[in-house]
Amino acid sequence: MADAGDGDVAAVSEPLDLVRLSLDEIVFVRLRGDRELKGRLHAYDSHCNLVLGEVEETIYVVEDDDEEEETVKTIKKQSEMLFVRGDSVVLISPQAAS
Amino acid sequence: MSFFGLNSRGPQDHGHPAQAPGFGAAPDPFANISQNQGLGQEDNDAIDFDDTYDGLGDQLQEADDDFNDDTFGGGGITTKSVGKDFDFYGSTSKVTDAINEEALRYNHHQPSSKAIVASSSPSKHASKAFKTGYEAYKNPGYIPDLQVDASLWGTGPPQIAEDYGAKRSSRGAGPSYPQSSSGVPAKKMMSLEEVEAAMRSQPKRPSPSLAPQQQAQASGPFAMPPMQQQAPQVAPPQQAQISYPQQMPPSRHETEQAARPGDFAQAPISIQQRPQSDHHVVRASQVLKVELPARSSPATQAPQVAPAPAQILQRGQNAPHQAPDAQASPQPRQILQNPNRQSAQFAPRPPEQALPMQPQRRAPPSGQNGAQVSVPIIYHPSQIMHLSDEERNAYLVEEAKRAKRNHKIFLLSKGNGLMTPQDKNFITRIQLQQLMTATGNANEQDPDASLSEDFYYQVYNQIENRPRQNPQQPLSNFAQTYLFRTGGRQGGMGKRQRGGDSHMQRMEQQVQRAVEAAKAKPKNKQLVIEGSLGKISFSNAKTPKPLLNIKRHDSSNVSNQQSSKRAQVALSTTDRKAILKNIEAVYSTLMRMEDHDRRLPPPPPEDSDPTAVQKVMDWQQAFQDLNENLWRDLKVTEPILPDSAILHPFIAFLSYPKGKKAIPRIFNHIDENQRLTILTMIMVHLDILDVIRQAQPGAQPSPLSREQVDLFLQAVMPSLFSYVTEAPLNIVIGLLGLVTERVNLSAVARTRVGLEVLTMLLSRAAIVKATEATDDQTWDEWLGIYNRFFDLLEPLLGEVFPASVNAGQDQYVWQFLAATGSGANPEQQQRLVLAVKDRVMETLQQSKTLPPEMAFQRRGNVNLFMQAIGLDVDLLDG
Repeated sequence: MADAGDGDVAAVSEPLDLVRLSLDEIVFVRLRGDRELKGRLHAYDSHCNLVLGEVEETIYVVEDDDEEEETVKTIKKQSEMLFVRGDSVVLISPQAAS
Repeated sequence: MSFFGLNSRGPQDHGHPAQAPGFGAAPDPFANISQNQGLGQEDNDAIDFDDTYDGLGDQLQEADDDFNDDTFGGGGITTKSVGKDFDFYGSTSKVTDAINEEALRYNHHQPSSKAIVASSSPSKHASKAFKTGYEAYKNPGYIPDLQVDASLWGTGPPQIAEDYGAKRSSRGAGPSYPQSSSGVPAKKMMSLEEVEAAMRSQPKRPSPSLAPQQQAQASGPFAMPPMQQQAPQVAPPQQAQISYPQQMPPSRHETEQAARPGDFAQAPISIQQRPQSDHHVVRASQVLKVELPARSSPATQAPQVAPAPAQILQRGQNAPHQAPDAQASPQPRQILQNPNRQSAQFAPRPPEQALPMQPQRRAPPSGQNGAQVSVPIIYHPSQIMHLSDEERNAYLVEEAKRAKRNHKIFLLSKGNGLMTPQDKNFITRIQLQQLMTATGNANEQDPDASLSEDFYYQVYNQIENRPRQNPQQPLSNFAQTYLFRTGGRQGGMGKRQRGGDSHMQRMEQQVQRAVEAAKAKPKNKQLVIEGSLGKISFSNAKTPKPLLNIKRHDSSNVSNQQSSKRAQVALSTTDRKAILKNIEAVYSTLMRMEDHDRRLPPPPPEDSDPTAVQKVMDWQQAFQDLNENLWRDLKVTEPILPDSAILHPFIAFLSYPKGKKAIPRIFNHIDENQRLTILTMIMVHLDILDVIRQAQPGAQPSPLSREQVDLFLQAVMPSLFSYVTEAPLNIVIGLLGLVTERVNLSAVARTRVGLEVLTMLLSRAAIVKATEATDDQTWDEWLGIYNRFFDLLEPLLGEVFPASVNAGQDQYVWQFLAATGSGANPEQQQRLVLAVKDRVMETLQQSKTLPPEMAFQRRGNVNLFMQAIGLDVDLLDG
């Protein structure tokens, strides 16, 4: 399980405690570089380094056509397990079940 | 001859003297003068009443009725002149002429104080007055009415005298009285004094004789009590003329005895003898120290009583001159009695007369009774001496009463006339205002009570107008009703006779204003003066000045609604959040407990030091604390709310994967009872477990739910199974009882988790039966539970299998069926076989098509069941 550290009290005392509530739950993480992740949160730390399992990665790419029209393409990748470095994490959101 | 025929009752035995004037007729003192004169009593001193009295009885009778015609306007010369058409005015005018002439003559005569002049003048007048009364109208300036009226009120004489003097001059008689007209203007009061003076100076002259005449005429009514009672009713109008007797006698005298200068000297005597009544004579005699008359007359008691009254009335009413009969006489009589005192008597009177009521009160008695009261001792102390003791006492008592009453009235009347009508109005309005403010302002019912006079109108108004007024007026506004009514009343004031009292109107208006003010006040709690920046707040007892003005109607509702909404929303969100918190708390505790386990000190050797034992003790204590924390975080012991929409915290805990995953670790650190409690909770909520709710065969199971079921089976079931496999049969019985009684078995039976849980219980029972010795009672109890369970389960047997036979995932079902069949009696086994026979045959048929390994497995599953019921698949194949 997640290495939740030494928090012996379940009370929420800091923002990361809210992240802890989402442990073993499916979370939505937005990263820099137009990337989004959705997966089960297995672990985190104070740097927002995350360990996600069963991750679906979505990459938004803007491409210029010949006619110079901008179109947005989405690239999705599935990953069984990901380590996300915390400095790229913009947002962590709990995702409702189902 | 008597006008009323009462002469026989006169105090005197001879009856009413013939010459005495009737009450309806104006007395004519001079008539007697001439008579007396004729009797040769000239030598009589004017005030010598003894002499006068001696000749009274006979002489009057002898005089007969010579002058009666003249008195009553009867026959004689006058009658002839009048003719048959009796002219009342003629005779009256003669009288009035006589009065006026007498007044003039008298006034004229006094200054000169010579009887000769006086006597001569009447003679001249008589010649003229002798004629009919219409003579007066020949005179252009003649105004008879004025003369009469003036004489009535006592203020007239001077004027009359002047007027008459003027007339006289016009008539031609004037030249003889030039100085008289100038000297006349003196008031009557003065004239009396002059009369007095005249009496003193010339007793024998006619002027003294005038006083007796006056006395006689005026006192006539009083002198004869019986007549007096009747007299006041009839006489007054005429007596008004009498009130100034000195005016009248001359005319009478003149008319009768055409100009006899010497008459005046005799006349007084005869008058005094006359009606004058004994008591008058008595009084006079008393003054003169002659007591005889007083005692001689008492033949009738009336005269005795009368004497005092006569004087009393005269004294009390003397000045006002308003009661002619009583007032006219006093002065003359007093003059007779004690001329010197007259001036003194006038002085004391005013105080008495200052009280207007007094004389009037005394007057009405019209007689002796009332008169007794007011005899003033002061004026005639000597009189008391002559009264009997009885009379004196009574008199004193009456006098004391009178004085007392006078004093009282005087005290009471101190403030008389201080307030003007406007002042009284003002006071009344103030009182009304106070009344209204005291009663009407407080509540609105009081005005209603105070206006009880309008009770019926009010009731009618309520009955009639309430239905109509209700829509307009929110409530039964009595004030409004009252205002409406008063308005209507004022509107219809012209029609209604309100007695014209403006106070009622004012009161109504004030009430209206008060009610309006009361209504307007609460509305205007603040006064904002235009152009100013501030407000002025009013405050009174009813509406205190509001220090805080908080509008709370909208905000409070909104906040309540918002809070309630938030609570509902928070319930769902924080429910999840709280559950997650609980889970995290459980994990925290679990990690600490696991950490704690690692620090479990080695069991102390037998001879260990106390510190080691203490460490163990501390560890156990810490473990216990952690266990309590864990148990509290699990929320297992939260009360079960049946039919509650909110999931039980522990069941919600189990609905999360990490919750399920925590169960094995939890089971490691909890005791048997806690495990049993958890198991019981799961059994009670078996049908609402997420792994059962979301795994119903009808719905397409989501991969997530399948994961949950698998997770549950992998994480939770082993813990439960491990417990159940060691549980005694009674616990199994209890758990199965919970399932059969409190759980929707159909929902449970169609899910894998449910069937496995049931299998767990049934297999445990079978194992207990096979391996352990159980008492019959417990086994019978188990059989009872089982039979009930089987009855419930039998209709569901067709649905316990997963959808497809080909799926090959029905092993747990066969295990369940085997467990069921192992515990069933033959009859139940028969039913069980019949229920699942098709599935068995299908499975066997399918197994033939499958590869041998799979076929063997399938046959093994079915055979498991078949063997449980004492059969074998091979039998079927055969």
